[in-house]
Amino acid sequence: GGPERCLLPGQVSVLYFARSAELAGLRCETLSVPREITSLQLWEEIVKVHPRLAVIRDQVVFAVRQEYVLLGDQPLVLQPGDEIAIIPPISGG
Amino acid sequence: MEENEDVPKDFIKLKSEKLSVDEVSELVVSPYCGAVSLFIGTTRNNFEGKKVIHLEYEAYTSMAETEIKTICRDVRQKWPSVKHIAVHHRLGVVPITEASVIIAVSSPHRAESLEAVMYCINTLKASVPIWKKEIYEDEYSWKENKECFWANSEK
Repeated sequence: GGPERCLLPGQVSVLYFARSAELAGLRCETLSVPREITSLQLWEEIVKVHPRLAVIRDQVVFAVRQEYVLLGDQPLVLQPGDEIAIIPPISGG
Repeated sequence: MEENEDVPKDFIKLKSEKLSVDEVSELVVSPYCGAVSLFIGTTRNNFEGKKVIHLEYEAYTSMAETEIKTICRDVRQKWPSVKHIAVHHRLGVVPITEASVIIAVSSPHRAESLEAVMYCINTLKASVPIWKKEIYEDEYSWKENKECFWANSEK
């Protein structure tokens, strides 16, 4: 699929959905981030690359390896190849 | 092992084609079950006085399927007599009155499948990474389920 083609060795892939994809202007990219980083620091790294995302800071969570993670002090231990997704408020069903 | 044991199965599908109530019902029918309960989510033509032209859905597909599998597992823990569960969700453009989601559950007696269907749709709305965009005549809006705990409901 699309996201896997973005990946280079030693990096994590970041997926954007819904409003976050519109604000960032893309659906996936690779990012080099420190192996140990808090979820809030990860958000701040991403906003440096895509400043327009700042407006949704209070309404997003991450999915890291397909588990939801709130933006905060929670330390993430990221491995190369990990998949991170920006998750705006959901509206399935 | 009995030939016709009818092992409980989960049928999960995210697809862009029109959903079929007949198809989803038939997936869960079982000779061991006296009840099939269904939920169909359809698209409304209005929101807060604005005319809705159609809906568009997108999904984090791999995680959505995993989350729906988790819902099915939870259903079986809460209602052990449930036999089969089917969850079909449409992606892409969904015209007005067409179904965006169909959930079907079979069980020997009706109470369990009725309760399980309600649990499935309520939990899907709270936890499955799928997004709906409402297209109006002059604008659009990304919807937010009230069940979503990270939505900012005070706007």
